[in-house]
Amino acid sequence: MDTVGRRKFLGLCLGGVATGALAAIIYPLFRYLAPRPVDGSADKVVIQLKDVPDGEAKFFEFAGASAVLVNKRGGGLVALSAVCTHLGCIVQWEKDKQDFLCPCHGGHYTPDGAVVSGPPPKPLTKLPFTVANGAITIG
Amino acid sequence: MALFKRVIDWIDVRIGARDLAQKQVGDYLLPRNINVWYSMGSILLFIFVMQIVTGILLLIYYVPDADKAFKSVTYIMNEVPFGWLIRMCHAVGSNMMVLVLLLHMFSVLFMGSYKGPRELNWVTGFILLTLVQGISLTGYLLPWSQLSFWATTVATNSANAIPVVGHYLVEFLRGGKLVGPATLGRFFALHVAVIPLAIGALVGLHLFLLERIGVSTPPFGLKETKNSWQGKEFRYEGHPGGIRFFPNYALQDLTSIAIYFACFLGVVFFDPYLFFPRDAFLPANAFVTPAHIKPEWYFLANYQTLKIFPNELIGLTVQGAAMTFLALLPFIDRGPERHPLKRPVFMVCTLGGILLWLGLTVWGHYS
Repeated sequence: MDTVGRRKFLGLCLGGVATGALAAIIYPLFRYLAPRPVDGSADKVVIQLKDVPDGEAKFFEFAGASAVLVNKRGGGLVALSAVCTHLGCIVQWEKDKQDFLCPCHGGHYTPDGAVVSGPPPKPLTKLPFTVANGAITIG
Repeated sequence: MALFKRVIDWIDVRIGARDLAQKQVGDYLLPRNINVWYSMGSILLFIFVMQIVTGILLLIYYVPDADKAFKSVTYIMNEVPFGWLIRMCHAVGSNMMVLVLLLHMFSVLFMGSYKGPRELNWVTGFILLTLVQGISLTGYLLPWSQLSFWATTVATNSANAIPVVGHYLVEFLRGGKLVGPATLGRFFALHVAVIPLAIGALVGLHLFLLERIGVSTPPFGLKETKNSWQGKEFRYEGHPGGIRFFPNYALQDLTSIAIYFACFLGVVFFDPYLFFPRDAFLPANAFVTPAHIKPEWYFLANYQTLKIFPNELIGLTVQGAAMTFLALLPFIDRGPERHPLKRPVFMVCTLGGILLWLGLTVWGHYS
């Protein structure tokens, strides 16, 4: 093997070892920094119907994010993600106006999550729920 | 590679990077008889960077609250992926840092490198040693284990022996009458902010002095081993015809770092609890004092000295005198000879001192 060939071979070996060493550092580092599952972020949340009076909303944590259950004035339940679709702020329930307001940039949503005005590009995400024996199970 | 070269060219035409690198590392000449002991400083720099990186990573999950600290450390060890690795690297690294620092200090001692004009290098190095001991002591409390709690109680209590202000000093150190949440708060601030900044600044000054004065010539393999500096004017000790720092000695530095790293990983993977006694795994309990609580190995000699003397003040005074003597050594030992075998008094005193320290450490461990 000539000198250039040997030098190239050694260079490749060194590069391989360096890449392996780098991977051995980066992989644990990535795993260490990767998000951890949050305690209490259940897949199913049960709320008693009596805890959400007519015309009011109840905020809760669902699957690691904020969610809201609305008992619409005049009847009807809706479970929604409380995360504004504009820039991720949490919407507030305006009981007197019976709508959602995002305080960050003034986005307005109906109690069903549809956009009324402001910058949100799409409605709030609806969450599935069932009602049985006075208890609402979301998820 | 072409893109990389273009980026370097772009920087080079603006700040003269190649010229600077050539002057600082390529044309930086070292004595031809330089030895492996001169790479201890580079190993220490590597360890310091490792400690900073692993320390920052631990800060992500560690909670400096007396009610949550132990739980957060347990969480890092048992729940976070590779959390055990980061913590073990930090804990083992802190012990290794003291060990390599001592080796660095011994090599400087034996080669007489602390002699003029390098007195300031020695003094800054000595302050760095005390700061490293300080950062180790403050870090010891953070896991809030039985070991942390009671070792800190004993360590801070030593200040009680100082006349008049002793009591107040203990309270000031602890932030209260006893070790508690207030102590954790101040030790945390010292450990993660104050002492690291001080160490960083001192390392900068230490390297500045090295750059300004030049690397010392080892006294081995030379006919003339006396210090030639007369002390009358500033002199940069260049080494014409010497070996280049880059790539020659940089390769030696890398080799030494690789050997150190292999030893370090050997401890981390095969004996990670080498520096962890049983009490390090129990949460702190202010009402239950464990039996035979002992400090870290590098404080065992101090611990045993305090036990030997019937009066704590005498024990502290003796230690203070020994530390002051060591700090001021370049101003006391002013002889020009640097070769250790031509300095019999120095050799007897130094070897005697090291043996005494080792003896007290072993005694402290088994007492």
